Amino acid sequence: MKLRSKWLSIVLAVVMIALSACGGGKGDTAGSPNSSSAGNGGAKEPPYELNVAFAAFNAIPSNLKEVQDAINEITLEKINATIKLTPINIGSWTQQSNLMLSSDEKLDVMYVSGRNYTSYVSKGQLQELDELLEQYGQGIKEVFDDSFINAAKVDGKIYAVPSNRDLATNYGINLRKDLIDKYSVDIDAIKTLDDLDGLFKTIKDHEPNMTPLVPQTAGISFVDSYKWFDPLGDSIGVLPDYDNGLQVVNLFETPEYADFVQKLRSWYTAGYILKDAATNKDTNTALLKANKGMGYLVNQKPGMALQDSRSAGMELVTVPLTPAYATTASVTSIMWGIPINAKNPQKSMEFLNLIYTDKDIVNLLDWGIEGKDYVIESGNVIKYPEGIDASNVAYTLNQGFMFGNQFLSYVFEGDDPNIWEEMETFNNEAVKSKALGFSFNAEPVKTEYAAVTNVINQYKMALETGSVAPEEILSDFNSKLKSSGIDKIIAEKQKQLDEWASTQ
Amino acid sequence: MNPERSVKRRTTFKKYLPYYLMLIPGMVYLIINNYMPMFGLVIAFKDINFVKGIWGSDWIGLKNFEYLFKTSDAYIITRNTIVYNAVFIILNLVVAVGVAILLNEIRNKLLSRFYQSVILLPYLISTVIISYLVFAMLSMDNGFMNNTVLPMLGMEPKSWYNEPGVWPYILTFIHTWKGAGYLCIVYLAAIIGIDQEYYEAATLDGASKWQQIRRITLPLIAPVITIMTLLAVGRIFYSDFGLFYQVPMDSGALYDTTNVIDTYVYRGLMQLGDIGMSSAAGLYQSLVGFVLVLLSNFIVRKINKENALF
Repeated sequence: MKLRSKWLSIVLAVVMIALSACGGGKGDTAGSPNSSSAGNGGAKEPPYELNVAFAAFNAIPSNLKEVQDAINEITLEKINATIKLTPINIGSWTQQSNLMLSSDEKLDVMYVSGRNYTSYVSKGQLQELDELLEQYGQGIKEVFDDSFINAAKVDGKIYAVPSNRDLATNYGINLRKDLIDKYSVDIDAIKTLDDLDGLFKTIKDHEPNMTPLVPQTAGISFVDSYKWFDPLGDSIGVLPDYDNGLQVVNLFETPEYADFVQKLRSWYTAGYILKDAATNKDTNTALLKANKGMGYLVNQKPGMALQDSRSAGMELVTVPLTPAYATTASVTSIMWGIPINAKNPQKSMEFLNLIYTDKDIVNLLDWGIEGKDYVIESGNVIKYPEGIDASNVAYTLNQGFMFGNQFLSYVFEGDDPNIWEEMETFNNEAVKSKALGFSFNAEPVKTEYAAVTNVINQYKMALETGSVAPEEILSDFNSKLKSSGIDKIIAEKQKQLDEWASTQ
Repeated sequence: MNPERSVKRRTTFKKYLPYYLMLIPGMVYLIINNYMPMFGLVIAFKDINFVKGIWGSDWIGLKNFEYLFKTSDAYIITRNTIVYNAVFIILNLVVAVGVAILLNEIRNKLLSRFYQSVILLPYLISTVIISYLVFAMLSMDNGFMNNTVLPMLGMEPKSWYNEPGVWPYILTFIHTWKGAGYLCIVYLAAIIGIDQEYYEAATLDGASKWQQIRRITLPLIAPVITIMTLLAVGRIFYSDFGLFYQVPMDSGALYDTTNVIDTYVYRGLMQLGDIGMSSAAGLYQSLVGFVLVLLSNFIVRKINKENALF
């Protein structure tokens, strides 16, 4: 008996030691960040490592580490910091970034998508940038027209800065050049949606295996690809014609909406629209590549024809159907912010300043390593090195629109060398929505917002791809929106918009 | 109270002490992973603001729960969740036990193993892949059904992803096809564990195969059936997200028959990203599950005390 209890006490002791060891380990890791951030003011302070998280729209490059090292050489010298690039696949971005923000994960600089922006701000997940911009971000302010940087303001304060790229958009259709030529279509005569009927009919009659119109990508309806209204963030309460005297209206009740979905239905039943459009998971260019379609409605910008031709592997032409508009959404869709748990916001801002002003960093992020991923052809124009092409290049991100100031980026061979000047004109000449700079905060009506979002999800794709007959469905849709409280959201939006307008 | 009794209790405690010690690692695991996060339940009653922190955020009572009950969808999602899961539980039980009994009757070892693996295989396939298998069958443009099966039967092509009426059957079929194999193995293990002497005795008495199944096999695996069913009942308010979200390709036209609590919450909060509202949904689901487990255990207890979980 005694022997056994002795044994037991030994076992118990071992367990206790093991447990306390676990506890001790925890304490150590919790202590370390404090000690590293303690030595800030010293003359020879150790370089600060910035964790930079962003969404990867394409495959994550195999040589990302190399690019990161090359950037670190520059940042070490200029701002005494190193960076760690954390790309996250766009598909899981919303969830993962939310997790990173909600947990205590070290995160110093992050890509902010316009869709999440106001909710980040209202939940206090982003730092206020006005002062930091003033002190360490002058380079960023110089890049932009004031109206664009002000577009990112929420309640008069800036929480993220847009990347400098196409800040406006016009809607139109991209079409296969080979088929345009084959049936000698006069694309200059196409000015409105109705002008497309003839073209679609020709294609349908002569190319039986092809649907003339394919959707833009998964979850994007044809209304998303052709907006005649400022969606004010989410299309729940919109400004028709980007003005409407700042009167917010319910898009789904407007006659224009009814006409548009009716038009889509007539196209769908005529066989002009991909039958699987509502559940489609492929991108527009992939569908064209597979010979399934001849064109797609899309939000356009200068240089788009070449960009999409490259991903479709065939020549495309762009036909604009609307003028260019700048809205809060078009400006704020891609931004950079500093999360609330960033330990050294000054360094974060200094790094942001660099991606708007330092040509070398911008090109490392946009194109990878010179000599390996690209070579300079002449002046500002680059091309793939010998033996490298789009299929085997290591640096696959290809998302120059994201990393700070795209106007500092090289231009790829085949693109217009003057693209950035054109883009600047495009931005500056775009029709600015009357509500440019207004962002809606859904927090006060979030109960209704969740319900209405669900109703929209239920009807949107089917209606806005022509997959169902709008006659009965549209009125069902509207009555369900009403019972879910869309009017309350619109009233709230109107109230916020009026408040915003009075401060302008 | 009674000194004799307390001595007895002390000796039994001593006797079982090693077992209590063996319990410790498991308990520690449970406490860290299952009990400590329960403090997070307060999030469901708060208007979370990361600047103020979890404890500092404002209390807002039941406001986070409102959206779950606000609209006419509340009825549809609750109905869908419960009815689907109820059907799944019954079907899984019947199919899995049936197949397990059949498998047990196969005397050829090799064949028996082969069938087991074939039946289990769908369980191991990711739902995303299953959704594409289904899409290959049902696609409007290239689907097997629309291009081969229906024309062969002389029927018009159907727009499957816009027809809510057919999806209860499709989803039930897929779920059973996917899930029964796994349960079947659990039941098969229970059946194999039955002492062969019962069957030998029964055969001597001239009992038919059917009688053996009814009088020996089923009663002896009843405890396993009860446990598996009670566990499933506890999760009746959760639904297989992949099945209801991926397989119908998130097609809005199908929501009437495919929207369940999990997909509703996911879709409603994708844009808001509000963790208060999502924890509210989670709390609501676990609460209902908890009540249902208590209730069904109570019923089992009434019928047969030995089979009850607690």
